Amino acid sequence: MMIIFFLEKNLPEKQRSLVEEKLRQSSLIEEVQFISPEQALEQFQNNFPELRRIIENLRVNPLPSSFEATISEENFSSVETLAFIQEMREMNGIEDIQFNRDWVEKMQSLSRLAQAVGFFLGGILVLASFFIISNVIKLNVFARHEEIEILRLVGATNTFIRIPFLMEGMILGILGGLVSLLLIFFLIKFFPLYLGVSLGVFSELINFRYLSLSQIIMLIATGAFIGFSGSLSSLARFLKV
Amino acid sequence: MIELYHIWKQYQPPRWALSDITFTVKRGDFFFITGPSGSGKTTLLKMILREIYPTQGQIIVDGKNVVRIHDHKIYKLRRIIGSVFQDFRLLFHKKVFENVAIVLRVIGISRKEIRRRVFNALRVVNLHHKMWEYPSQLSYGEQQRLAIARAVVNNPKILLADEPTGNLDPELAFEIITLFKEINKQGATVVICTHDRELIRHFGEKILFLYKGKLIRKEAL
Repeated sequence: MMIIFFLEKNLPEKQRSLVEEKLRQSSLIEEVQFISPEQALEQFQNNFPELRRIIENLRVNPLPSSFEATISEENFSSVETLAFIQEMREMNGIEDIQFNRDWVEKMQSLSRLAQAVGFFLGGILVLASFFIISNVIKLNVFARHEEIEILRLVGATNTFIRIPFLMEGMILGILGGLVSLLLIFFLIKFFPLYLGVSLGVFSELINFRYLSLSQIIMLIATGAFIGFSGSLSSLARFLKV
Repeated sequence: MIELYHIWKQYQPPRWALSDITFTVKRGDFFFITGPSGSGKTTLLKMILREIYPTQGQIIVDGKNVVRIHDHKIYKLRRIIGSVFQDFRLLFHKKVFENVAIVLRVIGISRKEIRRRVFNALRVVNLHHKMWEYPSQLSYGEQQRLAIARAVVNNPKILLADEPTGNLDPELAFEIITLFKEINKQGATVVICTHDRELIRHFGEKILFLYKGKLIRKEAL
C-alpha cells in the first residue's frame, strides 16, 4: 500500500530532510522513496503518453516533489496510521497527502466479493466433478459386472476388486487438474493480450499471474482426492462384494 | 470336508428347489451328484461356494459354517475351492493365459511363479500352445478345458465341477474326467455334477441321486 506525501514548491533542503526523517522514524512505514519533480514528470509521461504534448506545451514542470511511503496492508486502515497521517498533514512543508483510504477499502471489499464468488463457483465445480467421476465409475462397474463376478468366485478380496476403480477415479481427477492447469496457463498468457488497451488504468489493478508450485500441487492433489472419493462413493453404492 | 445338513432352498414359493438334503463328502472323495435337469444339482454347488444361501439348513466346508461366514471373509473359502461352471464364465476380452493367471493374481503370487504355474496348468489340459489366444478363438471343448485349468491352477483342496462334460464328445468327456481323477489322486476332494450315466458307470465311486430337489438315493460303490 502506498501513501504519497506531496511537498510544497521550493521547500528548503533542511525542511525536506525533516519530513524524510519523520517518515523514516515511523514504525508504520516500511519504505520511503523521494520522487523529484523531474522523476514525477517522467512517470506521468510514461503513464499517460496521450497527455505528453500538453505537458510539453506548458514549458514549466507543474509537478511537485514527493515522498512515496510504503505501508503494510494490515497497518493501512489502523487508527495509528490515521493519527500519523493527521500529524503529517499539520507538519510544515507538506502540501497534500494522497491516502485514498476509502477507495482502497472499496477495492478490498470488491476483491473479497470476487473471492467469495470464486469459492462458490469452485465449490459447484468440485461437486460437479465428484458426480461426473462417480457416474463414470458406476458405468464401468456395470460394464465389468461379469469380470467382477468371476473375480469374486475365484477368491478376490474387496480391496483387490476395488483398487482398479479407485485408481481410475484418481487418474481422472489428476487429468482434470492437469487440464485446468493448462487452461489457466492459456488464460493468463492470452487474456491480457485479448483485452489489450481496453483495460486502461485497470491493467495496474488486475494482476494476472501464474500459480505457484505449491498451488499447482494443491490443485492436482485436490483433483486426485475428488476422483478418489467420487469412485469410492460409487463403489459403496453399486459394487456389493 | 463338505457337510450339508437339512438343506432347503426356495427360489419362488411354493416350489422348493431343494428339500431336506443331508449328505457328507469326505476328504479325498471322488463324488458324483446326478439327476435330471432341474433336480437341484447346480443349486447345491452354488450353495457350497456361497454364491447363494440356503433357505434353511447348514453347510460346513473344511470345518467352517459357510452360511455364517462374513461377506468380507468369504474370499478365504473360495480360495480353497476350484470351480468349473456350467457356462465356463471365462473372460472373453482377456487371453487364455490371463484367464488362468487371474486366480493366482488375486492371492498375490509373484509374476515368475504365475508364469510357471499357468503354463503347467495349461499343459495338463493340453492348451499350452494356445496360451496367447483369446477364448473366442477356442473350440467349445477347449473353452471347457480352459475353465478346468483355471479351477486347478491353485491346487485347491476342493474341486467343484458343474456339468464339466456337457456337450463334449464321449472321448473328450472321458479324457476330462480322467484328468479330474488325476487331480483327486493328488489329494483334492472332487465333486462333479453330471447327468452322463456312462461316466458315472465308469468313474462313479460315491453317487448322490437327486430328483425334483429331493435326495432319492446315496450310493457308495
